[in-house]
Amino acid sequence: GGGGSEESSGDSGGDAGGNSGGGGEEEAAGGETYEWRFVTEESQGQMQYEYASEFASRLEEKSDGQISIEVFEFGGLGTEVDQVGQLQSGAVEMAIISPGFTGTMVEEGQVFALQFLLPDNQEDVHQLLETSEALNEDLAALYEEQNIMPLSFFTEGFMQWTGNKKLVEPSDFEGFTMRTQNSPLIQQSYGQYGADATVMSAGDLYTGLQNGTVDGQENPIFFIADSSYHEVQDHMTISNHNSYVAMMTVNPGFYNGLPEEIQGMIDETVEEMRDVGFDIQDELNSKLLSDIKNNEDTPTEVTELTSEQRDAFRELAMPMRDYYRENAGDQAGAILDKLESEIAEINEGS
Amino acid sequence: MMNIVKKLDKGLTRVEEGILSLSIITIAVMVAGNAVSRFFGESWSFASEISELSLYAATFMGISYAARKGRHITMSALFDNVPFPLRKTLALVIPFITAVILFIMAYFSYEYVQSTSGRVTSALRIPYYWMVIWAPIGFFLGGIQFLRNFWVNVRKKDVYLAEERKDYQSEEEAAEQQKT
Amino acid sequence: MVTTLLVIMFLFLMLGFPMMIPLILAPLVIVLFFLPQVEPFLMIQQMMSGISGPVLLAVPLFIFAADIMSMGKTSNRLLDFVGAFVGHLRGGYAITTTAACTLFGSISGSTQGTVVAIGTPMRERLLKIGYKDSTAIALIINASDVALLVPPSIGMIIYGLISQTSVGDLFIAGILPGVLIFSCFAVYAYVHAHMFHIPLAAKATWPERFRFTWKAVFPLMFPVIIIGGIYSGFFTPTEAAGMSVLYALVLELVVFRSFSIKKVPGIALSTGLVTSAVFILVAGGQAFAFTLGITGIPGMIAETFLSGSPGPIEVLIIVSIFFFVGCMFVDPIVVILILTPIFIDAATAAGVDPVHLGVIVTFQAALGSATPPFGVDIFTASAVFNRSYLDTIRGTPPFIVMMLVVCVLLIIFPEISLFLVPE
Ligand code: NA
Ligand code: NA
Repeated sequence: GGGGSEESSGDSGGDAGGNSGGGGEEEAAGGETYEWRFVTEESQGQMQYEYASEFASRLEEKSDGQISIEVFEFGGLGTEVDQVGQLQSGAVEMAIISPGFTGTMVEEGQVFALQFLLPDNQEDVHQLLETSEALNEDLAALYEEQNIMPLSFFTEGFMQWTGNKKLVEPSDFEGFTMRTQNSPLIQQSYGQYGADATVMSAGDLYTGLQNGTVDGQENPIFFIADSSYHEVQDHMTISNHNSYVAMMTVNPGFYNGLPEEIQGMIDETVEEMRDVGFDIQDELNSKLLSDIKNNEDTPTEVTELTSEQRDAFRELAMPMRDYYRENAGDQAGAILDKLESEIAEINEGS
Repeated sequence: MMNIVKKLDKGLTRVEEGILSLSIITIAVMVAGNAVSRFFGESWSFASEISELSLYAATFMGISYAARKGRHITMSALFDNVPFPLRKTLALVIPFITAVILFIMAYFSYEYVQSTSGRVTSALRIPYYWMVIWAPIGFFLGGIQFLRNFWVNVRKKDVYLAEERKDYQSEEEAAEQQKT
Repeated sequence: MVTTLLVIMFLFLMLGFPMMIPLILAPLVIVLFFLPQVEPFLMIQQMMSGISGPVLLAVPLFIFAADIMSMGKTSNRLLDFVGAFVGHLRGGYAITTTAACTLFGSISGSTQGTVVAIGTPMRERLLKIGYKDSTAIALIINASDVALLVPPSIGMIIYGLISQTSVGDLFIAGILPGVLIFSCFAVYAYVHAHMFHIPLAAKATWPERFRFTWKAVFPLMFPVIIIGGIYSGFFTPTEAAGMSVLYALVLELVVFRSFSIKKVPGIALSTGLVTSAVFILVAGGQAFAFTLGITGIPGMIAETFLSGSPGPIEVLIIVSIFFFVGCMFVDPIVVILILTPIFIDAATAAGVDPVHLGVIVTFQAALGSATPPFGVDIFTASAVFNRSYLDTIRGTPPFIVMMLVVCVLLIIFPEISLFLVPE
């Protein structure tokens, strides 16, 4: 996994589902109609699901009802990784996929797990994701080789730390047990700060934090709030250590087989959704952050890292970039170099 | 000829037993070991992955072993209460159809293993097929075992629930059997 | 399509096929004949997925620990200790079993693990003093399942995430319903013991009690280590299962020296056999749930039911019926994942408190673990106790009735759930 929140749940991997009728395409009287399945890694009220619903309704409207899309919440079709397999094999036509869950398939996608690499405000991250050649062309090509066609990358907000103590300096991580995704890159990143990174399922995490089996965890704000982790953590650090990035993807065989006119509608909707999606995550995260701050039953002290503090962490995180170059696939070095220069350009501009 | 088959079968049983037993012990070592090690500040990043692999191995390799022992969970209400000729018929039909379905599943499992090519595991970064190879093997061996269960019912007059387990009739007899 | 699923399920089940066959065949037929764009190999992906996840690892580990302890001396010493204090009371063993299952289950987070860890030794003693096996097993299964409702509850954690409800509030709301259902079971055990004249043991004298307590000192450390270890944060509930294997081995091999280490692989083999028999069904259940999920059938049916903007009690009754039926065929946690998103909006619109809804949902999930035909705890009991499926479920109807009555109470009186929850 790369830089990710985790929606994988409890013992069964799970099943939820929307309501899709039939499947595939059907010949209708007045021309072709389309019924597609669109899977997400999140639930109603969360970023990916809201993005997908909005996407679906815009496309349905644009096509004058020719296209209908069933949006699936997480849980209906197994784990996040299972869903990737479903997109690859064409069982579903569209999916929102976090590169974090495909880091064992497209290893270069782990670039989003690198800490203190992306710009430190969301507008710049947004701009980067829209314009970056390293991502939209080079990285996207690697996904296409795996039968996953990214149409856009978008942010779901910065990742933050929560802990049973204040985490503002690297030394605060000394002897700290940090729950992370099962990924060597992420685990070593926290090792750099002196923490012991440990794996724990999302189902165990709430009680794990409550009992102190682990001391802290990382996730985007909306996921922290929805999982109630703040109820069992005294501190939250606005660390913005990386951004939770997701991809709007389609099955390439499916997409390439569509008439140009339909492809055009999809592309247009993808473009429209860039700003719409950004606003969805922005509203969601700021509302939930203030909910966390204002919760008096289970108060959580929220601290933002100063730029000096960020620099201290960044320095320790730097060697992980070399780790990524060496261990994350053939293209890792080239992609990271290009991305670093694109980031530098944006940082200068702002 | 018969002798070679018997020897092969005996060897296969040993392998199945070995894998089942080793899987369970491995899960125990990984889960408890990781907890102890984390206490000293060193989590085992590989623990969950190896446990998962072991659980897959135990589940699928156990299909055939449980078939040998007649330990698959079954709703036997009808089976237990029909006259002998019908019960004998079921004892022939059930293992045969079961074997066919397990062979079909073995084939799709093999396709699934192929579909994961290029993927590695999260922690150890070993090829993912090590995790899932157990499914085609397990279904295939399971299919063979049910074919044998079918065959023993063809050969013998009584009803056999498995090669190594003759049918029992009542709760009391079952309890009796359990004690032995 | 639904008809096909159900016909295959019931036909192959009733004919006496191994239970894995209907669970595999039903989704296989749907995928092959109704869902052309779904590759059949995705079923295997789902089967794998169904048995992954750390919570499930607790199951073989608790089976392993229970096998070790019943092979050695730990089990008997624990039971002699329990017997010395409750053996002379009406329904004493049954009530103790209920309490132990509920507590252990809620803390360990694994109802299957509880069926094994508490059920194995307690069933033996219940049989010895004259309980029918079907009653003993039903008691064990149902008391273990209540643990899904009693905090900490994995069902509530998942519901909380999907519905964006406070997990802390849900935990508090589960306390009184848990106490209520436990009391029902305890009263039932008492009345049952009266009606069936379950014999009583002679009341143990205090010196005897001292002696049994002394002999049980090390075995009694077992719950202390598990509960203490989890609450002090040394390990997760799943890891507690691993630690109990470790502790059981230390007790039997080193302290009691009841058997040699050479016996351990054999015990692991029998654990492996039982694990496989149960987990192949859990795996098949996920494949079954997947086909339901991708066809979207549950949502379509639910929408029809919710169309007339029903009131709060109506919504909760519909929810209960859907969960009850769903849990007959699919794992309760999976049912929570599938159905919660479908109902949450309608319930909120009808004025149902999401915390109250969460209690009803987890209550149904708890009940659903014990309802046939699909029930992982039934499978576990059947495999571990080596009884036929039907023998395993024979005694459950009174418990299901009690739970349904309590469910009605919980629906009518939201206060039972919400009373303790802070504003
Ligand atoms: Na619980
Ligand atoms: Na059930």
